[in-house]
Amino acid sequence: MNIASHLEKIGRFEALRARLDSLEDFDLWFWVTMNTGTNAVNVALHHAGVTRADDVFPTQPGVYLIPAADGQLLPGFHPLGDVLHVGRPKVDAPVPEDIAEMMRAMEVIEHHRDPCVRGEREPTPAIAEECERALRRCLELLARRVGKGT
Amino acid sequence: MQALDHRQRAERVERSLAKCGPHDHEMKIEAAMLAGTHWVNFVLHRMGVTKAEQDVMHTYMLTVNELRKYSVADVWLMLAMDEIENLRPAHVRGNVPGGAAAADRALELLGKIRAKATQQFR
Repeated sequence: MNIASHLEKIGRFEALRARLDSLEDFDLWFWVTMNTGTNAVNVALHHAGVTRADDVFPTQPGVYLIPAADGQLLPGFHPLGDVLHVGRPKVDAPVPEDIAEMMRAMEVIEHHRDPCVRGEREPTPAIAEECERALRRCLELLARRVGKGT
Repeated sequence: MQALDHRQRAERVERSLAKCGPHDHEMKIEAAMLAGTHWVNFVLHRMGVTKAEQDVMHTYMLTVNELRKYSVADVWLMLAMDEIENLRPAHVRGNVPGGAAAADRALELLGKIRAKATQQFR
């Protein structure tokens, strides 16, 4: 997806995160936190020219919804655009160090996804704080990168 | 996860949904997916079709055989979840116009999934 659309989503996701309680609303808070960071990583990868910023939308690794001439969205194979999650799919090309750090921050968040959202682990203030710190670091690195000139 | 835990998780996500505003179509769709998946697991566990350690995560990640089996249990539930999942690429990951209408549809489906689950297993 194009960078402007990613940034627009990040802005709205941040506004929603501010209305959610990190423990009372943990599931949705976590989900929007993860989505915010994933959009940030996609922006950084597009900005660095590692992945393509085409307006095609992933359904599974390697498969995207692609607009046809009549505007209809059809599934098809496409070179790497947006990743669904950090590591899904793995980016095989060389990645600049600041983006690699963003990805490591996202792995901290993703580590809590299955146990806390899909599984039986009750979220704790420490888990929420760890996710919050990781997202802040990810967004800080993105701001530095795009601040260099998009 | 036990059936009762799925129900409580679904209800927690639904309470959080109330904090979404008119511009939050992505997270309304995601909340419908998260809560709907818990309701599907609640029903499948209560029917005795799946055990607590066999939770469905996404309909598109099921094997063909699993999808067939769970559709025998309740084909409407599986189709409703699939419809919610199919809204995600264009409207959660993508920037396709019509996000608000897609979110309304996801929430409508979630309401029907919840009603079916709670009527069947009070």
